[in-house]
Formats: sequence, structure tokens, C-alpha cells
Amino acid sequence: MLLQRFILRSALVLLFLRAGQLSGAASSDDAATTLRSSVEEVLSIAYSGHANEALAARVRPALEKCFAFDIVTRQAMGPGWRQFSATEQKRVTDLFSELMIRTYSARVVGTQRPKIVFGSPVATASDRCEIPTRVTTSSSNEPIAVVYRMIKLPAGWRIYDVLIEGVSFVANYRAQFDELIQKGGAVAAIRTLEAKLAQPVPSNS
Amino acid sequence: MNHSIFNILVLLLGFSVCAVAGNHPSAKAVPVHPSDSDLTDVPVQKTNDPWQRLNRTTFRFNDELTTYALRPVAHGYAAIVPLRVRTGVTNFFDNLNYPVRFINSVLQGKITRSAQETGKFVINITAGVGGLIRVSDHISRLADVPAEDFGQTLGFWGICPGPYIVIPILGPSDCRDLVGFGGDYAMNPLNWHALGIIQHAFIPNAVSIALSGTKFVNGLPKSVESYDQLKAEAVDPYIAMRDAYLSYRAAQVKK
Repeated sequence: MLLQRFILRSALVLLFLRAGQLSGAASSDDAATTLRSSVEEVLSIAYSGHANEALAARVRPALEKCFAFDIVTRQAMGPGWRQFSATEQKRVTDLFSELMIRTYSARVVGTQRPKIVFGSPVATASDRCEIPTRVTTSSSNEPIAVVYRMIKLPAGWRIYDVLIEGVSFVANYRAQFDELIQKGGAVAAIRTLEAKLAQPVPSNS
Repeated sequence: MNHSIFNILVLLLGFSVCAVAGNHPSAKAVPVHPSDSDLTDVPVQKTNDPWQRLNRTTFRFNDELTTYALRPVAHGYAAIVPLRVRTGVTNFFDNLNYPVRFINSVLQGKITRSAQETGKFVINITAGVGGLIRVSDHISRLADVPAEDFGQTLGFWGICPGPYIVIPILGPSDCRDLVGFGGDYAMNPLNWHALGIIQHAFIPNAVSIALSGTKFVNGLPKSVESYDQLKAEAVDPYIAMRDAYLSYRAAQVKK
């Protein structure tokens, strides 16, 4: 009797565990689908034959659908973010989002459409996963390793960090903003971002 | 400058100073927002940069050098030499660097990787017309082999990177990679004649210098372009470069 109960309980536990794994895998697959269609959409816009000057404006709607700009900005600003007023937070998010869109669109465009191979998503938590990709461009001799970190939000899966050859976009900006915000607070961050956005974007050949 | 994503990056040992990193304000991973505490898995680069003032001065010097000397050369070279030719030259020198990758794979006990490197070298030097064409890229097992160097070998052996350092002309490095650079220099056949490892009456040192010069100039357009891109995106180019260099090298050591 005891043995039967033990077997039944073990079977139920295993069933729940398996169901959890399957649901996690299915969830990560959703993230992969979202990422793939988002990247495809951005590339279609970038290589549609239009002039590259207004590319950032054209890819903005597609990027807004797939990037969690508010989370990326908060993390990039680091602990100093908590000292910002609501107005400053809004202003910094807008400016930093603009910088991200400009950066992403400058990197994605080239002379030839890059070839992207998507790897299998790796779940890092129940609501987060990493999707490795290999990007081959006309100017790169070897494929570039790009990892997308994604988070599940009520609106769906969103990108909250991108790692290029092991270099985290968020960690890199957090390192840059850390000292700046410690010395000058939100005002320094806003002034620096405004000055950066006023500079011309170098062309990507 | 074989190692880096920016190509201009190069690589003193400070084994005992790794602990310094933990004392730096930016070394701690602090939760960004109370509700974001579960997102703090984003790695924060621990920075060991005790010579920052000197490094920033050298960084500014290198920036001026890039602006007034290297960029004009890079643009001129790119205007004269087509991308396809530049890629061929890059492939040639990359293939010639095979002993560095092979020896360092062996030193790390990565036997399969050393065999893949040998396969790549043989195929590229034969079917790839002396290494000008990377035929190996079309063979799945040889297409994506992480390149090993002596800095990575030292890291693999557990040696800490030591303090971050910016070298005039050469760019960012850390003490471990600087020693690694010396090791790679000695392993590269391009330098064997200059180092007296091989002697041949018909090969003057000038040939060795000319080849090294060609390699440097050929890599300039891409290096300058990458540097310009980093500068355009960064709010503090010095820290952006430092973080990118250290993160990139740490990721390479793990591969």
C-alpha cells in the first residue's frame, strides 16, 4: 500500500516536473519565434532599397515591438536610476531608446543583407531565455556571435539585452553611466545623451 | 593585433592584483530597481584599472593618432584596394598565423580544436590558393573554430588578467594579454626571421618588416571603422572600449 502510494506520488511529481519543462520549452520557443520574426522585419526594412539616412525612423516601429526599452534603460542607468524624478526617468528613457535605435540600425545595415543562423533558446528562468545567433556579414571574415536576452512580459516576449561576442550592451552602458551619474546625476545623463544624439551617425560600409 | 573585435586592440602581468577589482565602485552588481532585482543577472564587468589617469591620456593620444594619421591611411588604402583583395590579404595572414592557434590549442589540451586548425590550414593553403580564400568556411566542422592565442592560454591556466592598460599606438590590453602578445609574436612565422628562428640568405629582414607592415595597413580600414562606430555610440568612449575589451577577452577565454 505504502509502495503504491510512493509510486503514485513519484509519478505525479515527475508528471508535474515534465509538464513544467515542456511549458518552459514551449515558452522559449515562443521567444524564438518572436525574435526571428522581429529580426526578419527589421532586415526587410533595412534592405528594402530605400536610402539609409532615415533608417532609424523606419525601423523604430519594428524595434519598439521587440525591445523592452524601459527595462534596458533602467538597467543601463544602474543604481542611480532610483534617484531620478519621474520626468527625468521619462526623458532618459526616450533619449536612450533613441540612441539604441540609432545604434542598432547603424549596425544592421551594410552593403549586403547579413545571414543569420538562429540557435536553440536556452531558458535562464521561467520568464527569461537567451537565444544565440551567428551573424555573417559581407565585411566580417568570421561569423559574429550575437546572443539575445529575452524576458516574458504581459505584452509578450521582449529583448532586454544583446551580447555581441560576449560584450553585453546593457553592461557596457551601465559601466559608462555609473561614474557619470554618480558625479552629475540625471542632469549629466540627459545632457550627455542629448549631446551624443546631436552628433552625426557614421556610415557603415 | 590579432585578437580583438576592434582589430586595433592589443594585448604585464599583475597576478596578485586581481583583488583590486572588487574594490572598484563599478565592480559590484547592484539591483537596478526594486522590481528589477530578478534581472540583475546581466554581468557587470569587474574593472581593475588602477592606472586610469595615465590610460585615459594614452587613449586620447591614440585617438588623435587615429584621427590625424591612421584614418587617412585607412581611407586611402580602402579607396585603392578593393574589399575582396583586402579580405584575401587578411585571409592569407590569418592562415599564416596557424602555429599560434595550433600551439595554444595544444597548450590548453584542446586536441580536437588543434586538429581542426591543422585541417583548416592544409585546406586553405592548398584549395584556398595559398590561404587567400577561406575554403574551410564551407566545411561545417572547420567553419567556426574559436581562435586561440597565448593570452587565452594564460587565462585557461587560471592566471588573472591583471590591471587594464592602454598601450600607445596599439590600444587596450591587460597585463596578461601583453605577455600573451609576446608569446604570440614568437609563435608567428612572420616574425621567425626577425627573431633569428629561421635564417635564409635570400630573405632580408626588410621582407619580414614589409609583410608585417602590409598586415597592419590591410587591417586598418576595418579597425578604424570599428573604432569610429564605438565612438559614435559611446557616452564615454574610454569606458566603452575598456568594458568591451575586457568582456570580449573574458568570453574568449571561456570558449
